[in-house]
Amino acid sequence: MSAHRVARRLWPLALAATALALAPAAALGAPSAAPPRLTVFAAASLTDVLPQIDPRPRYSFGGSNTLAAQIEQGAPADVFASADTALPRRLAREGLCSTPVVFARNALVLIVPRSNPARIESVYDLRKPGTKLVVADPGVPVGAYTLQALRTMKLSGVLANVVSRETDVREVLAKVALGEADAGFVYATDAKTLPGKVTALKLPARARPEARYAICVASSSRHQGDARAFVARVLSRAGQAKLIAAGFLPRAQGQRK
Amino acid sequence: MRRALTAVAFFAAALVALGFLALPIVAIFAHASPARLASQLSSPVVTDALVVSVETSAVAQALVLALGTPTAYLLATRRFPGRSLFVTLVELPLVLPPAVAGLGLLAALGRNGLLGSSLDALGLSIPFTRTAVTLAVAFVASPLYVRQGIAAFEAVDPSMVAASRTLGAGSTRTFFRVVLPLARPGLAAGFALSLARGLGEFGATIMFAGSLQGVTQTLPLAIYSEFDRNFDAALAMGALLVLVSAAVLLTLKLSVQWTPSRQSSRSRFALSSWS
Repeated sequence: MSAHRVARRLWPLALAATALALAPAAALGAPSAAPPRLTVFAAASLTDVLPQIDPRPRYSFGGSNTLAAQIEQGAPADVFASADTALPRRLAREGLCSTPVVFARNALVLIVPRSNPARIESVYDLRKPGTKLVVADPGVPVGAYTLQALRTMKLSGVLANVVSRETDVREVLAKVALGEADAGFVYATDAKTLPGKVTALKLPARARPEARYAICVASSSRHQGDARAFVARVLSRAGQAKLIAAGFLPRAQGQRK
Repeated sequence: MRRALTAVAFFAAALVALGFLALPIVAIFAHASPARLASQLSSPVVTDALVVSVETSAVAQALVLALGTPTAYLLATRRFPGRSLFVTLVELPLVLPPAVAGLGLLAALGRNGLLGSSLDALGLSIPFTRTAVTLAVAFVASPLYVRQGIAAFEAVDPSMVAASRTLGAGSTRTFFRVVLPLARPGLAAGFALSLARGLGEFGATIMFAGSLQGVTQTLPLAIYSEFDRNFDAALAMGALLVLVSAAVLLTLKLSVQWTPSRQSSRSRFALSSWS
């Protein structure tokens, strides 16, 4: 077959692919007459609760570390809500966001599929060889909390049973909920979103890392007022009540702004 | 006047398109010096990802060749009811979003998938293994080879096949000595595209195989995991993939261009290369 024929057979395909790829970009580029819409970058574990607190912004949920890196690369976020305090502090040091404020805390739990194929009753059962354990990447806050908790329990050896390091906490949840993995570490609030699919096992109290969520306003935001109003809304009594209803822990005392 | 305007508009459009396509590629190399990129290539994340990518691609592409070639040949030479349905089925993964491919693989071969319990009975568990990566790569890449293969086999002059048969060669001999050599440039083109697509596979892999350094983390997955941790390492792997893809395309172009000059001595060449 000649090059010409190859080309002839492929070009309609290429054209179609290009059109498909460009269509969403064109849609995004369209100017809107609506009032400015905030863009909120938030930790994946906030996926369900933040839209309950304020449904208006455009949300981008993901691993906090990925979102922070995107902001560092110039992504147009107005607000950054992270599952830790280190990432927003890093952005603040770099002059990319305001001084972060803690707005919630969360607990780390071990989850197993409802059917519990590997019959895991406690975190110590993770030592069984062949257990398929899924954790988040150590760069993701929940991944760092997982390593910390395992170290405290002197269980770092179970890392040998890790079959995948996921890019955010909801990916861990999904792999366990699907029954593909035997166990995974997520936040208590994530486990609560799929009660019919996963069972949460508490960690010993001394091993529970303190997951503190912090929020800040991006310095590059052109909607500083709206962005600050959003943060105030999250910190308000109503916002806090929604967070607590979703299973988050109250933000610690002494963290008031 | 109008013609001149049209010409200007065409040139402008082409210029914008070229700039748009070239800029990200240039940026990957411009962001950090070659020395800095090269120094990243020896970091364990990169070398592990390279090994996973090479190993899974090798097995996946061997599967694509072994199963895709007969499939393409049959679809090219036989006419049977439902043939176009088969061809569409084979081509479907080509236009399918990779995330859907990953979802389908999980639903089929996952622990709770269609074949999950049968596989489990055999003591096999595919998700999170290198086999899962290999299957994901084969699934998304093979249509490129098969599609191209059908076209290549269809283009083989039937009189050559008939001549071979009249001269006493059996169908197996005819296939290996006449059909395959004649279809080879087209097959090579398809294989190159399949290889390049397979090396870039991301969505289906991360859903079906997860991501674990040294086990299932291929180069594209490593780029994603390093992007927020070590941007230089991500860039280095990106640059590597750009070079590999460019090499594949270049080889493809050269091999296709090189074919016509060979046509005159085709039969001799074909016999010598397959005996």
